[in-house]
Amino acid sequence: MSIAIETRGLTKRFGGLVAVDGVDLRAAAGETLGIIGVNGAGKTTLMNCICGLYRPDDGDVFIAGERVTGQPPHVVAHRGIGRTFQVPRVFRKMSLIDNLLVPVLDRKASDAELIGRAEAMLERMQLIELRHNHAEELSGGQQKLLEMARMLMPDPSIVMLDEPFAGVHPVLCKFMIERIEETARAGKAVLLISHDLTSIYRLSTRVIALNQGRIIAEGGVDDIRGNPAVIEAYLGT
Amino acid sequence: MELLILNGLVNGLIVGGIYALVGVSLTLLYGVLRVVNFAHGEFVIAGSFFAFVLFSSLGVAPLYAVPLAGVAFFAAGWGLYYVLIPRLARSDDPELMSFLMFYGVSIAAAALMLLLFDADSRTIDYSFTPVSVQIGPVYVSTARLVALAITVVISIALALFLYRTLPGKALRAAIMNPEAIQIMGVDIVRLSAFAFALATGLAGITGVLVALVFPAFNAFSGTEYTIIAFIVVVLGGLGNPVGALLAGVLFGLTEQMATVFLPQAMAQIVGFVILVGTIFLRPSGILGVRFRK
Repeated sequence: MSIAIETRGLTKRFGGLVAVDGVDLRAAAGETLGIIGVNGAGKTTLMNCICGLYRPDDGDVFIAGERVTGQPPHVVAHRGIGRTFQVPRVFRKMSLIDNLLVPVLDRKASDAELIGRAEAMLERMQLIELRHNHAEELSGGQQKLLEMARMLMPDPSIVMLDEPFAGVHPVLCKFMIERIEETARAGKAVLLISHDLTSIYRLSTRVIALNQGRIIAEGGVDDIRGNPAVIEAYLGT
Repeated sequence: MELLILNGLVNGLIVGGIYALVGVSLTLLYGVLRVVNFAHGEFVIAGSFFAFVLFSSLGVAPLYAVPLAGVAFFAAGWGLYYVLIPRLARSDDPELMSFLMFYGVSIAAAALMLLLFDADSRTIDYSFTPVSVQIGPVYVSTARLVALAITVVISIALALFLYRTLPGKALRAAIMNPEAIQIMGVDIVRLSAFAFALATGLAGITGVLVALVFPAFNAFSGTEYTIIAFIVVVLGGLGNPVGALLAGVLFGLTEQMATVFLPQAMAQIVGFVILVGTIFLRPSGILGVRFRK
């Protein structure tokens, strides 16, 4: 399968702190790469470097073989990356439909066509009944679903999910897991950050474990589950 | 007394409409760019001088100066954005630096207008026919009614733009979360340049209306409008365009009614009482939004 996203030696420093330290990762189309690590391991910083919110100090990011390092976030997004945030960043005072229209503003399609797509996406996320409500009226879990729907609107080839299950009711978690599986089946590369190891192990094709910005383990779910370095990082034993 | 109150209400609406435009342009700027434009009043007065020059040199009526000011100031704002803001963005604290930089711009702009037009107060010696219109027992100058009509049209057009068009929705989204909108493929620099140009265009139009409604203006009048803009923005809620429109009208009405019930000197402090009161009692304004850094 073709490589959708790749980083080589990606490094980000904040003063004397090395938040991401020479990270090499790659994910193919249709693959789900789990990224685990304790708080402060550098997971979100890694995502910020990939999507262009942070300019890495060293290393490179490639999307479908094309170097995008240091490009502004909107350019990286146009190359096919979508992402969600740990705390959902929905447009609170806008309707659900309008939230979904923002990422497709510059698409060459009629308003009716875009609204039709947005409604179909909300249907898929079981939010269609609330389409005219303001996003601030949704629960935390529903806001996560809305953010996921918004991310999928421009049909990105790579999706990055930052703690999608944090603070979400188990029933909604199950629904989200099904949507993520669907997304990977549709041929998108999925980069998934989560503290919820059960979900990570269920969804991921491969997993990388970060500690203090560095990859300490990489491999299949079974390799990671029993890896002493991962156990030590998590349990401190 | 009733007549005075009616007069106060009508004038409050007219002046409030102008305050609303002054505030909405400043709040758009702050909302999208997090830029504190201390030179906003000077931009407004530059619009007044623009109408003055068009009328006194070329005989262009103030009514025609409205769209011309809109286009000219929009273009000037677009250029000014690329001169000023990218450098600002490279500083450690762009918000504070914007305040200091635009304070400098306000001094420079006032000095430039002083150089070009001297310190004398200027008036556009233009009258509509009829000069005034009777509404019930109240006589209102036609120029003021025209100004009110223009503010209403512009406010409606602006609200439709922000709430019904895709670029308008992008502007609102950028106000709510500038970081999230970038990772959705929206070029925040281009959007910011548009917001700056739109705000400057609105300031130019407002300046023409100021020249129509108020008896005189001079190179130093800008400070007064900057202060009004800040009061309106705080009252309406930082970065909330609809809040600014409502707050402008509310402030205009309060100010004009204060002149009916209070001594002149007392009436002048009403704005500051509103500003301080809003900050203490409702810091997010009447329709405020909370910002996330």
